[in-house]
Amino acid sequence: MIVHINHIATAKKKSQLGDLTSLVTGSLVNMVEDGVLDSRIAPSLRIHLDWIQYKTNFRDPVMVRRTTNPEGQPLALAEIAIDLRQADPAQLPIQLAHAVRTVNPQSTVDERRVYLDHFRPYRECMIWDFNRLFWTRLADWEAASGRGFEAALPSGKSDANHPEAVADSVTEFWTLLRELDTRNQLPGEILALEIGVGTGMRARAWMDGFKALDEERGTGYYAKLHFILGDYSMTSLERAVAALSRHADHVSAAPLDALNPFKALGSHRFKVMYVHLTNVYDNLPFDDLVRRDGHLYLVEVRAYVSGATADRLAADFGIACEDLPQAVERLIKEGPSGVFPGERGVSFWRCLWDGFKLEERLRALAPGDDAHVPPGLSFMHFEDLLAEAPEDVRFHISRGAAESFANTLPLLHPRGYLQVQDIFVEHMDDYRRGFRGPGKLDGSLVTWVNGAMLRVVGARAGYDVHFAPFPYRPGTKTTIMYTTQRP
Amino acid sequence: MTLPLLPTTVIGSYSMPEWLERAKNDFLSRKLSRRDLDEMHDATRKSAIKDQEVAGLDIITDGELQRDNMIDYFTERIPGVQILDQGSKRFYYDFYESAVRAKIATGALGLADDARFLKRFTTCVPKVNVSGPHTLVKRIRNEHYPTEDAFAFDLARVLNFELKELVRVGVTELQIDEPYYSGFPEDLPWAIRAINALVEGVKAHVTLHICYGNRYGKPSFEGSYRYLFPTILEAKVQAVSCEFARRGDEDLQLFKEFNVPFKVGYGVIDVKTQEIESASVIADRLRGAMEIVPAEKLVVNPDCGLVRLPREIAFAKLCAMVDGAKIVRKELGQ
Repeated sequence: MIVHINHIATAKKKSQLGDLTSLVTGSLVNMVEDGVLDSRIAPSLRIHLDWIQYKTNFRDPVMVRRTTNPEGQPLALAEIAIDLRQADPAQLPIQLAHAVRTVNPQSTVDERRVYLDHFRPYRECMIWDFNRLFWTRLADWEAASGRGFEAALPSGKSDANHPEAVADSVTEFWTLLRELDTRNQLPGEILALEIGVGTGMRARAWMDGFKALDEERGTGYYAKLHFILGDYSMTSLERAVAALSRHADHVSAAPLDALNPFKALGSHRFKVMYVHLTNVYDNLPFDDLVRRDGHLYLVEVRAYVSGATADRLAADFGIACEDLPQAVERLIKEGPSGVFPGERGVSFWRCLWDGFKLEERLRALAPGDDAHVPPGLSFMHFEDLLAEAPEDVRFHISRGAAESFANTLPLLHPRGYLQVQDIFVEHMDDYRRGFRGPGKLDGSLVTWVNGAMLRVVGARAGYDVHFAPFPYRPGTKTTIMYTTQRP
Repeated sequence: MTLPLLPTTVIGSYSMPEWLERAKNDFLSRKLSRRDLDEMHDATRKSAIKDQEVAGLDIITDGELQRDNMIDYFTERIPGVQILDQGSKRFYYDFYESAVRAKIATGALGLADDARFLKRFTTCVPKVNVSGPHTLVKRIRNEHYPTEDAFAFDLARVLNFELKELVRVGVTELQIDEPYYSGFPEDLPWAIRAINALVEGVKAHVTLHICYGNRYGKPSFEGSYRYLFPTILEAKVQAVSCEFARRGDEDLQLFKEFNVPFKVGYGVIDVKTQEIESASVIADRLRGAMEIVPAEKLVVNPDCGLVRLPREIAFAKLCAMVDGAKIVRKELGQ
């Protein structure tokens, strides 16, 4: 059997991590010796020791991943993944022994889990229903939690509105315009676009800054500037337009799907000089792929709550275990009030999300199976990506981000650029240097964006993709991604 | 062969299949032999020829699918141009880093073989393209000539030899591609003189193609064709083809205003979108163009090469273009 010691952080004391690791390997050897671990299964068993950076996530401390062929029939390869951050030394040997027993596909071990769904790829699983619910019922959640959603961010606030970042962005853009002006190539109308406008505060700060700089330098670019606010939420758009009322003659709102900005803005093809997004890509659907022994597997997940969580929900809300899946369905379809009126519904939602977990399995990809390839991308993109990936790796297919990116690039003017503030995995090798999500973020979720994949997408579309550190807040994981034209 | 009124043609390249892209990359990483890749090139060129014939075009190319891009096909062949990063390229479409460090020599570039291949497999009028001196000067690092224009004139000398060779093997339609003019309009006076050196003594119908770039299926530059005038009037070519479908035909007025002595290759197909124009849209565009330029002086073509479009889209666009031209010819009693 192969033991993978993955991305171990040092938040726990060194000795604790060492002890936990010894406990795992020692227990496994004992189980082999005692015949608990079937010697026929052991050679194809892999053990992963992880340290999950998100305190709240979708995993139990010990989880089993079985593999199947494309048709869902069991294969020999299996994995046991241990989150050393969550692991309790007193419980670990018992949990491990339980996991070893359940590795066998024929296992009849009673897990006491209440399943809420069947196995699906990440892109189609229930977390996206909960994500949508969170953003549409944000006010309810915030009222119940007593804090705004930005307070749940690691820094307690968004990097989007950082004044220095905005000021530098303005200066950079003005410099480009100046250069074009010098060459007599300045367009008659200067178009800028923000996708995912939030409260509109960043756009307002940016426009204020641009106007001030333009007036100070007497260049007259503000008069030609038109800023498009793009968002799928009409509420956000209305709020942002109101925030930018002092620039009303230079601003318009465009309802659009972040996955395909081109659909709504196609009339601006090759005309937009500047596109900005902050924390949009990390909240778009993704898939996970695993490469083991030269074979590719798609990670499929099944939502569940543990027996203990189900018992607690039954005690607190009077919903029997067998009725839980239907209650969850109502919650997703109708919102919290579809389950219980008023605050009780929100309370149920919050408790459920707290105990919401995902079981994983690895389904082998059949030749020609390209369902994981996002629209607008091709197998060639994946070949390019896999060519630079380690042989043994698990990584994101940031399909939502890639689709959005591919459908934004055709808007760019030949000298225009796109700038994204988000959390990126810059190289495929980096997937072996840290856990990249998904994690829970309040009622929503967060996952890192596969920047290496966006680099491949960009290259095919004629853009080099670069990543620069976000220098305005020490210790931040935010990165600035930006494009330049390929020669 | 007599061409009809409003003759139809392609600019040069045809749709590049994704599997051929993969094969080209495999060749670069030594996973595929030259012989196997050449076989694939030949097969796709025949397919491109057939598609153009079936679409009904009057003047066709071989699809240029054996060319990795419009630069490397020439930098690898021009004697004296050094490839500086040979072996390091992973993606076929990327340009090599190349330099000229001594006077380039005259020598056959092998385009005559391409022409023979094309002539062997078609009964249509064959056309062969060369990348123009200005474009090559912008991509090859000049470490020998005192100025860019001196380098361009020497390139013109070498390419002139090649054009004459193409005429010798029976090519009557030639095209020079110059997409970089639009990014460097200040170069135009010497760039046109280089064109004239290039076509000197070449007994063929020569078209000069000037667009705003189509690398990766997107424009490299923006602006107006006004920068071409009046300098372009000095070009000793028989036609100038430009992109109008994507940009609109506002600039076509310039060709009337300056009473151009050459034919106008009128771009009626937007090659930067997968949306397929209908024949009636093409016909409308042609009718609009004929209000400005007489039909006798119009050649019907896409805005640029079709290399970045999927094959079925490229083919459908060509069919629509031919059908649109037929509609207008009929209206003109042809």
